[in-house]
Amino acid sequence: MSQSSDTQKDLLVKGNHDFASVTRLISDIPQQKTPAWWYIAFGISNILLAMLLGMVILLIWNGIGVWGLNQPVGWGWDITNFVWWVGIGHAGTLISAILFLFRQGWRTAINRFAEAMTIFAVMCAGLFPAIHVGRIWAIYWIFPLPNSMQLWPNFNSPLLWDVFAVATYFTVSTLFWYVGLIPDLATMRDKVKGFYSKIAYGVFALGWTGSNRHWQHYEKAYMILAGLATPLVLSVHTIVSFDFAVSIIPGWHTTIFPPYFVAGAVFSGFAMVLTLMIITRKLYHLEDIMTIDHIEKMNIIILVTGNMVGFAYAMEFFIAWYGGVEYEKFAFINRAFGPYAWAYWIMITCNVVAPQFFWVKKFRRHIGLTFFLSIVINIGMWFERFVITVTSLAQDFLPSSWGYFSPTYVDVLTYVGTFGLFFTFFLLFLRFLPMVAISEVKGVMPQADPAYYRNNQKH
Amino acid sequence: MGKEQPQTYWRSLNELAKNEEYRRFAEREFPENATELTDGLSRRNFLQIMGASVALAGFTACRKPVQKILPYTRQPEHIVPGNPLFYASAMPYRGFLSGVLVETHEGRPTKIEGNDRHPDAMGKSGIREQASILDLYDQDRSRRVRKEGQAESYERFVDFCRDHFSDKSQRIAFISEASSSPTLHRLKNQFLSEFEHARWVTWEPFNEEHILEGTRQFSGKRLMPRYSFEKARAALTLDHDFMQEDSASLAYIRDFSTARSVDHGSVPSRLYSVENNYSLTGSNADHRLRIKSTDIPAFTLALAAQLAQKTSGLEAFSDVQNEFSGSEFLTLAAQDLLENRGSSVVSAGAGQPPAVHAIVAAINLALGNQGVTVLYPDNPYIPAENQNQALSSLVQDMDNGAVDTLVLLGTNPVYTAPSGLNFEEAMKKVPVSIQLANHVDETSRNATWHIPKTHFLESWGDGCSFRGVYSVIQPVIQPLFNSKSEIEFLNTLLNAENKAGYDLVRATWKDRLSSFEVQWDEILHDGYQMETSFDVLNPEPEANFTASAQDLITNIRKTPEDAIELIFKPDPKINDGRFANNGWLQELPDPMTKITWDNVALMSPSTAERIGIPPERSFGEFQHPVLRIQNNEGRALEIAAWVLPGHADDSLTIYAGYGRRHIGRVADEIGVSVYPFIHSTEDVQIPEVSVEVTGQRYEIASTQDHHSLEGRPHVREATLEEFRENPGFASEAVYVPGRFGEREHPVSLFADKVFPDHEPQWGMAIDLNACIGCGVCTIACQAENNIPVIGKREVRRGREMHWIRTDRYFSGDERENPKVMHQPVPCMHCDNAPCEQVCPVAATTHSDDGLNQMTYNRCIGTRYCANNCPFKVRRFNFFNYSKEFLTTGDDPEIVQMAMNPDVTVRFRGVMEKCTFCVQRISRAKIDTKNRTGNSIKPEDGSVVTACQQACPANAISFGDISDNESVVTQKKNNDRNYVMLEEMNIRPRTSYLAKIRNPKPAHSDGH
Repeated sequence: MSQSSDTQKDLLVKGNHDFASVTRLISDIPQQKTPAWWYIAFGISNILLAMLLGMVILLIWNGIGVWGLNQPVGWGWDITNFVWWVGIGHAGTLISAILFLFRQGWRTAINRFAEAMTIFAVMCAGLFPAIHVGRIWAIYWIFPLPNSMQLWPNFNSPLLWDVFAVATYFTVSTLFWYVGLIPDLATMRDKVKGFYSKIAYGVFALGWTGSNRHWQHYEKAYMILAGLATPLVLSVHTIVSFDFAVSIIPGWHTTIFPPYFVAGAVFSGFAMVLTLMIITRKLYHLEDIMTIDHIEKMNIIILVTGNMVGFAYAMEFFIAWYGGVEYEKFAFINRAFGPYAWAYWIMITCNVVAPQFFWVKKFRRHIGLTFFLSIVINIGMWFERFVITVTSLAQDFLPSSWGYFSPTYVDVLTYVGTFGLFFTFFLLFLRFLPMVAISEVKGVMPQADPAYYRNNQKH
Repeated sequence: MGKEQPQTYWRSLNELAKNEEYRRFAEREFPENATELTDGLSRRNFLQIMGASVALAGFTACRKPVQKILPYTRQPEHIVPGNPLFYASAMPYRGFLSGVLVETHEGRPTKIEGNDRHPDAMGKSGIREQASILDLYDQDRSRRVRKEGQAESYERFVDFCRDHFSDKSQRIAFISEASSSPTLHRLKNQFLSEFEHARWVTWEPFNEEHILEGTRQFSGKRLMPRYSFEKARAALTLDHDFMQEDSASLAYIRDFSTARSVDHGSVPSRLYSVENNYSLTGSNADHRLRIKSTDIPAFTLALAAQLAQKTSGLEAFSDVQNEFSGSEFLTLAAQDLLENRGSSVVSAGAGQPPAVHAIVAAINLALGNQGVTVLYPDNPYIPAENQNQALSSLVQDMDNGAVDTLVLLGTNPVYTAPSGLNFEEAMKKVPVSIQLANHVDETSRNATWHIPKTHFLESWGDGCSFRGVYSVIQPVIQPLFNSKSEIEFLNTLLNAENKAGYDLVRATWKDRLSSFEVQWDEILHDGYQMETSFDVLNPEPEANFTASAQDLITNIRKTPEDAIELIFKPDPKINDGRFANNGWLQELPDPMTKITWDNVALMSPSTAERIGIPPERSFGEFQHPVLRIQNNEGRALEIAAWVLPGHADDSLTIYAGYGRRHIGRVADEIGVSVYPFIHSTEDVQIPEVSVEVTGQRYEIASTQDHHSLEGRPHVREATLEEFRENPGFASEAVYVPGRFGEREHPVSLFADKVFPDHEPQWGMAIDLNACIGCGVCTIACQAENNIPVIGKREVRRGREMHWIRTDRYFSGDERENPKVMHQPVPCMHCDNAPCEQVCPVAATTHSDDGLNQMTYNRCIGTRYCANNCPFKVRRFNFFNYSKEFLTTGDDPEIVQMAMNPDVTVRFRGVMEKCTFCVQRISRAKIDTKNRTGNSIKPEDGSVVTACQQACPANAISFGDISDNESVVTQKKNNDRNYVMLEEMNIRPRTSYLAKIRNPKPAHSDGH
């Protein structure tokens, strides 16, 4: 052991790995025998996915009435789930793009993984706006396609902006993810033994040889994509929040929504990354790469964004009082003490109270607690979306039209089914792709320093 | 009794029709006719009917018999396909006719309006008239003559009559509905003279016998008072819901609304109401006293005593002292009545005992109201004897085997007769019973012969309005189901012939008219006979009235303090059950409770607490506790409880007409039948019952879950004093940022126009001071705009489709004694519409003439527009409601005939809402352009929306707001005009005129 425990502490990769062992650690995973737990998890995910498919067919066959929606509450679990899943996606882009631009080396251990989560979460999210319309067979009318009716969509509608925003986000995220994957796909191509897998990895590696020119182009492209993705982190959830903020419904019509939604999205996204990461690092023995330091750093982000969200909750109340609009005042008092108070207080407990544990370093570095709280936070964030969407609609201006929304089994099973969709893809990702950006991790290892060997030799 | 049937819910009529269970019991009842239910109107038949209908309109008939109907305004050669024709006719209801105008499209009636020429209808209609079009196309109507359940032909029935009625000495009894038909009475009298042992009973379950008996006690004559609320400056109703229960409701509503006007300095009348239930009338009263219904006799006595001090004629009561004497309400009311002698009204409801009516008659005479505001028409169709007693003695005779033949005209006594009579058992002892009825109902199953009865739109008939204005009922379509009218049926019994109703009516009228053909044509054209009305009598009190009054005084006692009374009333929508199979009426929210598809036990919050159920319910709680109500003879009733603030304490009210079995797919299994509980005709008021909570719960579908305005200024009202002090109170109620000086609208960031340079610009004004909250606008809109019936389950889920709803709020003491506000809410057609801005596909847009349009074909159903609508007036097709409604059963062509061809039927997944009746606007524009050559600006008043047209209170005005002279502009210039949510700068086109209440000022001496 040439390194002291003090220097070990500052390292992003623990366990005395060199380049070769890091490559082996990651690239061996797709080549090993598929573990039994993977089959079980994949099977369950597939069942849930099939259930989702069944629920969507049921919905399209019978009509939106199979959900619990009613006259005041035109959006319920559908839009709640949409916003929630989109929000989860945000962590991936934040980690890969913003932290990249800020030269946060620790991101390399989790960015691949988080980006994959982003893409699958956005797929789950995108499902809901598509199926929530009454006539899905006419949904292409929202795209500005030239047509014989000479009709454009209504460019004033936030729902239209939403379509563009989410579609752009999905496209850029996927590209970014794929570009980042290219060097590692080439590594995989070089490592795998099977003929067909070599071809498969080879095709997607786009002939990567690791030449200096390749690296130059790659770095440039990656930087540009990071630059493109960075505003998207802010814009997507800003625009999603416009769905609410641009309307006139008390509780929706709020200027604080864009930053509040973005903070909430990062908050829930990091929680989701943690949930997945804590399981994965254990199952695939990646504790050396996804270290306790990573967990702590992410917990700090959760603490920051959690408090931003908590501040937004308080600010909403303050502005409702300060603004003096009685409908707005009522909307917030009603949230906290009305028929949906139970949902509101779940939200407050999970989103504002729970992250406060992370002020304490011991808790930040406690894996069990982190895992538990990451799930709690995602429950809280789901309820935040539910509270915003449903309570505002259920009791708005005219007391005569006030109602109450209760979900049907179709609402519930559709939501549960999206986990099937998410995990089906996620498990396939774990199984077949390098889940850590091998080349990038190497870049943040001490060995990447050109002076490393010289310095070490001096010892 | 009780609800032993399984609680099955169904999403649509279609689903119910597919319901195997429904089929099974339908078949079990008539196993031999199971195929008949599926033997409907085939396409060929349909075309025949259509063809025949066109023939009726004047073309050469291709099918016999040919009947000639005169077109209303146009000659047959002017028939333009696609343009409706209007025919004047009249709708019979509980013995009186209301004048209607029937809109027909290519020979099928699609809409009913009030006849604007008829002096009693004056173009207005109520929920019954509006909904009756759906009754015509009711697929569950009886379609076959049946003999002991087996299909039979009418010819065989004629043969049977020829044989059976040749015996003129048989003991024959008739039970009919109330009727004012001269032809029916001609045939009736012929029967009574030809058959020496014939007797005739008129049976209505909620009849006016108590009133007739009361006036008999007073004056010796059986008379029905009629009130002039227009002339009455002060009115006191004693358990009299004249806005809903009365045959003359329509005219009363109009008169009342007229008298309530505050415009141009007029002083509104004042209404006092005493009642147990919170009725529509009570909700429009300035002063309301909620007491037990069984305490109203005592109140009436105390009132008579109070009035006796200042009037003559009530001396008999002057010594009465009870706990109502000197009470604040009574003192105020008495003071007002005395101040308005000769221009006040005291009226009592039909459920009150005769004594109350006798005292009320005496009070009205003493106040000088008789002959001015209280009139006693000389109605020759009032039976000379008490028909309740006549029915009981008839049933006794039936039971004793003293009746050979029983003929039932339209009535359903097995369902409605007091259970103590045991009508069903007695009927089984009559050798031959013949029934004419709309449906194969409870009575039909026990009858030897069942003959299907025509709807009034299918048959000739006649009669008069409650004032005695005679009309001829003119059919507008051939009978859909081989049915016979009452007069055709009676004529068959009498003469053993199948003669057309047309000839029978003409035969009657030949004697009534001096120049027959000319006048006959006039009557058919105008819809009524000019200058006819009942004579008005001026009854004198009987000499011994003072003496008999003493009996009344001693017999009337305050009821025991702790007793819980049970009051049965006819349902405001389906009455005694006769309209139970009408989906529009079943789905219309009750004006006060907003309940659909059910009857409940209404009670006050305090009574609920006393019984042991929570007085308030939380949001999302649709399960209501079921009560078991038992009288002291052990009869019991299980029904869901409903807490209605403002109901009298220790009192329960239940509406009748529900709990039908095997009638039709709409009526069946809905609510609870109360008739088994009504042992005798006096049992509509039961002074003492015991109530227990069963622990079961029952789901109720109501369309409004929240009853308080939460202090929000959506409905604005003031007392008359406040209004006179500050006429602009309504528009000043809300601070609108930027509204100052002459500005019409709040300040905006954008340089937008108020509306484009285009005329006309449509707008609506709803006068809340005129609106009484009856809900006819909802039904009229439903009929005009092809709005589907969606069923209880969907209403429960908050998906009702009505384009115009009537919101009802409680204010003041919201728990015990609230005031009530009614507010019709259609689409506001905002100039700056929030819905339009958020639709991603531009499916909802603004027209040049200011309509907020909904393009169904473009809608993809994101529901964003509905979410962003602050008034929540948009309606979403969560399921394929229209398709389900219009493909119900085996011959859906029938109900499809009720649809308005001018209005699109909406598909699943699209949003819909009030269009300001754009089809009527377009028609008026086209007519104007045809007439003038270039203008598309129809004259003021030529576009009438469906809700406006029906409204008996004239609360809705519609027209061009770019025209300064139009009625709607003038309404909008009224001081009371205000716009809901004006501060939001959404600029609704629909504005409201604030309500003015007129409570008696405590200090002044009245107006």
